[in-house]
Amino acid sequence: MVLDVSFMKETFGTLWTGVPVTLSLTFLSLVLAAPAAFYAAVLRLHGARWGAGAVRWYVSFVRGTPIILQILLLYSLLPSVLNALVQAAGLPINIFEAVDPFWYAVVVFTLNTIALLSEVFRSALLAIPSGQREAGLSIGLTEVQTYVHIIIPQALTVALPAICNITVNLVKGTSLAFLMTVKDVMAVGKVAAAYGYNYVEAYLDVFVLYLILCTVIQIGYSLLEHRFGRFRQQAA
Amino acid sequence: MLLDIKHVRKSFGGNEVLKDVNMEIKQGDVVVILGPSGSGKTTFLRCLNFLEHADGGELDFDELKIDLSSPSQKEVRSIRKRTAFVFQNYNLFANKTALENVTLGLTVGRGISREEARERGLAALRKVGLEDRADFYPSQLSGGQQQRVGIARAVAVQPEVILFDEPTSALDPELVGDVLQVMKKLAQEAGTTMIVVTHEMKFAREVASHVIFMADGVIVEEGSAEDIFTRPREERTRTFLQRILPEEYVDPAIRI
Repeated sequence: MVLDVSFMKETFGTLWTGVPVTLSLTFLSLVLAAPAAFYAAVLRLHGARWGAGAVRWYVSFVRGTPIILQILLLYSLLPSVLNALVQAAGLPINIFEAVDPFWYAVVVFTLNTIALLSEVFRSALLAIPSGQREAGLSIGLTEVQTYVHIIIPQALTVALPAICNITVNLVKGTSLAFLMTVKDVMAVGKVAAAYGYNYVEAYLDVFVLYLILCTVIQIGYSLLEHRFGRFRQQAA
Repeated sequence: MLLDIKHVRKSFGGNEVLKDVNMEIKQGDVVVILGPSGSGKTTFLRCLNFLEHADGGELDFDELKIDLSSPSQKEVRSIRKRTAFVFQNYNLFANKTALENVTLGLTVGRGISREEARERGLAALRKVGLEDRADFYPSQLSGGQQQRVGIARAVAVQPEVILFDEPTSALDPELVGDVLQVMKKLAQEAGTTMIVVTHEMKFAREVASHVIFMADGVIVEEGSAEDIFTRPREERTRTFLQRILPEEYVDPAIRI
């Protein structure tokens, strides 16, 4: 078997058109999920009984089902529900044409990421000794000021490796968005592969591209960790 | 009277930790609270700063009268702004330098400008002999230095009372001296009003204007340092002192 090198080169170039989709899907899901996940973590730790219970249920619900099932279910459910709502409101919009499937993907991955991130935030918040919160209050800061200036910066540093993990998993996980006809890196690769039956070449290209993306992200996070973790250095 | 504390009660579960504790503190007093562990000393101190929520009691702070069992948010803040707390485990902010630890209560807590906070922060660090460590993070300081920063953090907000919760208990023995020295200076030179929970008998003897012996959630005995250490009236106080100071302490009853 001989690899079609010129096809590989050409396809590798085309694959990059999927990169913005993959990255924006990842980035949007993370950014949208973060505040909700933080709120969920605080609710789980300090909230009322029903709030903490609801978060626990949500997390185990998301963790206990395959993401491919969540994608298929929501992709079947969401457009129909939205359509029913639009119809009921009497708006002259065709939901099935008006909404790019990309946004359904954002919803699915955001909901998924909220569950994962909330657990990361929860353990990170637990890692910060409660004495520092008391110290903040004792010198006249409010609870919110104590969180903003003391607890959250430290918790974020603790959480960075786990957030990196979630980000990398998300980049790879968004490859399932092709099921929703989103044209991410994976989808572009599949189309290229099917076009001339060059499956091996196309998938090798996709393979390399994901490796590059994930490596860059990991390097970025380790720089961040170094930057924010300066206070953890020991005396020389 | 600066502080008048009346009928403080507190239970954890079914366990009554404080049973009607009363205390009066005048401006410039150094009150030292002694007692075996589990006697409620720390809980009492924490109730004064609302780090623990008392079940009952009243706190008169100058003109302010506060019901300890149901303080308003505003009352809690005003008390916390007029007092400061030094913790057994220092509890420095790990993500802040020594100077930032000291200035945070000024800039964020009280809206003082950065320059003025810096001045006051450096002055506070100078008082505890750590001006040259201003830019060090807590992880780069020894335990004794961390506790001195903890004291500077308390001093910087110019509180009317500083509450010390066993400030030297977590320190290596050779580092205790520096911290006590700083506290002694605060008491004798600056005339700071302090309530100190400690096991350092020498400090209590030399610095305290008033010594309180607590056991099982009540004040067993109180008086001047001289009274408590040389003429304790209560059996419990005597037993405690004998256990803590076996060499120095000779039971006066035996001596006579």
